[in-house]
Amino acid sequence: MLSDYVFIGLFAIVAAIFPFAGFAVSYLVRPKRPDPVKSDVYECGMKPIGEAWVQFKVQYYLYALIFVIFDVMSVFLFPWAVAYHTLGLYALVEMCIFLGILVGGLIYAWRKGALRWV
Amino acid sequence: MTTRTPFLFLPQLILLLTTLVVFGIELVPGDERRRKDWLPAIALTGLGGAAMAIIFLWSRTTTPPAGSILAGMIVVDRFALFFQILAVTTTALVVLLSTDYMRDRTPDQGEFYGLLLIVCLAITLVVAAADLLMVYVGIELLSLTSYVLTGYLREDRKSTEAGIKYFLFGATASAAMLYGMSLFYGATRTTNLAAIATALSEAENSLRGLVIPAAVFLLAGFGFKIAAVPFHQWAPDAYEGAPTPITAFLSVGPKTAGFAVLVRVFLIALPNFYPDWMALLSSISIITMIVSNLVAIFQTNVKRMMAYSSISHAGYILIGIVCWGRGGFGGSFEGISGVLIYLLAYLFTNVGAFAVITAFEEATGSSRIEDYAGLVSRSPALAWAMLVFLFSLAGIPGTGGFIGKLYVFGAAIQARAYTLAVVGIITSVIAAFYYLNLLRYVFFQPPTENPKSITLSATAKITLIVTCVLTLAIGLYAQPFLQLAQASANLW
Repeated sequence: MLSDYVFIGLFAIVAAIFPFAGFAVSYLVRPKRPDPVKSDVYECGMKPIGEAWVQFKVQYYLYALIFVIFDVMSVFLFPWAVAYHTLGLYALVEMCIFLGILVGGLIYAWRKGALRWV
Repeated sequence: MTTRTPFLFLPQLILLLTTLVVFGIELVPGDERRRKDWLPAIALTGLGGAAMAIIFLWSRTTTPPAGSILAGMIVVDRFALFFQILAVTTTALVVLLSTDYMRDRTPDQGEFYGLLLIVCLAITLVVAAADLLMVYVGIELLSLTSYVLTGYLREDRKSTEAGIKYFLFGATASAAMLYGMSLFYGATRTTNLAAIATALSEAENSLRGLVIPAAVFLLAGFGFKIAAVPFHQWAPDAYEGAPTPITAFLSVGPKTAGFAVLVRVFLIALPNFYPDWMALLSSISIITMIVSNLVAIFQTNVKRMMAYSSISHAGYILIGIVCWGRGGFGGSFEGISGVLIYLLAYLFTNVGAFAVITAFEEATGSSRIEDYAGLVSRSPALAWAMLVFLFSLAGIPGTGGFIGKLYVFGAAIQARAYTLAVVGIITSVIAAFYYLNLLRYVFFQPPTENPKSITLSATAKITLIVTCVLTLAIGLYAQPFLQLAQASANLW
């Protein structure tokens, strides 16, 4: 019993060391030729403008939330589709109800203007 | 007697359909204002339908239960149905309270009632959950919708703050609870409550070191829902900032759900560890009773005072769970039926008290205790209703609160848990001080400035009459309610 935990402990230690080891090794072996552009903060290759601590448009979050609808939908659709032949009509009806409720959510978001970018 | 599966799910189906209709109504083009007046009526119709379905199932359910659905995730027994009735009643009363209160405060009425119905649906699932996974899913659905409802008044800083605080505390409590559940799964390889009990009794004492911490983690989650000390810090802020009808809901709905889960999980999954969790729960109960009642004395805002009052009631109700079965089942005071009758009386009393607070806030825009001065001359009806509810909260004979306290303390004395009973009675006396202090303002203090008389809306009148009558009915003619509680207290 206790020896099982030794492996977990070892694993935790290795996991903690691993990222530091990676940085340390690359620090030792890489060539160092810094210039102002290279040591700049990387942001899509553009010069960074302003701070990173700004208020994000709330619509990003709305889009993320609506994406979750489809995400969950597909998570449930895959196993259902795989087992479709054995599940039969009952599962088909159930899946239609499930999709119906989710599509209802999407229509709701659309009608409430969540998809409009202002 | 067997009932077909779809029928066992009928209350939830009705609630779900009503929710969809309420959300759908928002989408219909046309005159918005007239449509919004229909929303409470539709919500109430749905809740009424669900209530009828629950009563039908209750009358057909025998012990052992009628059946479990969704592969043993949900069990439909009288215990669950009793709590479902509580949930539906609370929601219906809160819908009545909200019709006037929310009309001018938010343009998004449909979502408000829709979310309220989803909370109700979540409670009906939680109280019937027979599997840790279902417990978790139900509690999350309940919590997430409660957070949104608490912070529903977006323009109001206090409401937003309350919502965020509630969310942060809730997320932490959920994480702890989920960790506890994972420990149970690790120890027993199952999430079904009854199967956990079997696995634990087979393993005898070898899993003890794992089960006790797991139970403590679970208790963090449940304690958050019932708002027991030390998991109570969210309650005063959330209660103060939330829209007042939602405060009424928070003080009853999630609390009853939390108690149902607590009873079911600890009694079904952990009966072998009763001495351990009994010690844990009694200490939580004692701390809760003492801390909340002492802090409540110093509150100047009536919603905050009621928050601490509702925390203290969690402490009293815990006594009933602690004293479960210790005095033998033959006794006249049985802990779990004490819990049920207490919660039933507490529901009507507390929602009623918040109905008064809502009506007062509607008229004056204030919820400070000193503004209640001279309420009796401004609105005798409100003042006398407040008297009934505060007497019931204090546990004065003739009201429902007394019957609840009688049965819970009776169970404690029968189980020889004298410490609990004594602490409970002493703190009840302390509690009477701040309840009566509010009544002193209502009846004996002269009103401060231009005392306008308060007119009550029709919905406020209905809520007040229903809650007042039932609070007194439980107190004066307790027999049928006691029978209902005793018939529902059987978990096996």
